[in-house]
Amino acid sequence: MGLEKLGWLADTALGHWVVSSAAIWPTLECIHFVSLCFFMGGMLMIDLRLTGFFRDPCAGLINRMLGLVIGAFLVNFTTGALFFAGNATKYIDNPAFELKLSLMVLAGLNALYFKFRLAHLLATEEVTGDSKFVGYFSLLLWAGVIVCGRMITFFAR
Amino acid sequence: MNFLRILESTAFSEWVLTSMLGFPTLIALHSIGMAVAAGLTIVVTLYLYRLVAGIADAKLPGILRIAMWGFLLNLVTGLAIFVPRGTEYLANVTFLVKMLLVLISAAILVWLKSHVAQLARKSVDVCGSVRARRLSLVSSATWIGAIVTGRLIAYLGSVY
Repeated sequence: MGLEKLGWLADTALGHWVVSSAAIWPTLECIHFVSLCFFMGGMLMIDLRLTGFFRDPCAGLINRMLGLVIGAFLVNFTTGALFFAGNATKYIDNPAFELKLSLMVLAGLNALYFKFRLAHLLATEEVTGDSKFVGYFSLLLWAGVIVCGRMITFFAR
Repeated sequence: MNFLRILESTAFSEWVLTSMLGFPTLIALHSIGMAVAAGLTIVVTLYLYRLVAGIADAKLPGILRIAMWGFLLNLVTGLAIFVPRGTEYLANVTFLVKMLLVLISAAILVWLKSHVAQLARKSVDVCGSVRARRLSLVSSATWIGAIVTGRLIAYLGSVY
């Protein structure tokens, strides 16, 4: 996947900092998992709205959850990037990590499809075949991201 | 302890510890259950404290029901992970603290769901209920505590 080009990150001050004390890595793990819960909570709400679990009167739900989802994702992504910087060899050539990244890209494309093709649903309570597909696909992709995330350790070299 | 040792020597425990699929599958499902249970409880708490909006009060019992299904998945897979190494886990104080937090969180989640359902049936403003807000806050806080202690089991296990 070309991740080996990022191996130099382990030799940076940031990479050294992540593994410089016994407390940093576990602290980052705690933040990573707690932010995952905030992210998944907001994402589940959006996906359940898209699949039709919530309708009337939840028209503005998606817009109102976006701040929470984006904020939690940024924290989660940052801690994930720090793991990579601290122990790049664990992630490079790791099929579980590569699949996790691929699923995240697909989830991003799925969100973009929603934004550009189904944005009109934001202001309504409508549920369409397309919105159901986006919602269920998103649920599946994020579940896959969690599964692959847990598999990284088992596939590490 | 004898009972735990018997459980540890079962074919199931052997499968969890040695098969390619056993432990990885269980830990992945355990995480999904955690994300659903804790995630939705946190969203409900944020809503009750008016930090996020857009949720109808009538939908809250349904959301908390899904959170409870997430907890059930978390519990079943957690038990399956516990069985093969029960005596080791019970000697780990961090694990015991985690279990205490999970029990508190789950009990309060059930209480919260029943209280919120009652308020929603009477069409009372759920965000205005001090009890609902406090219950959800304690449930979310204990979930976060359980996640943190869960992560620390591997690191602090040998300390005690």
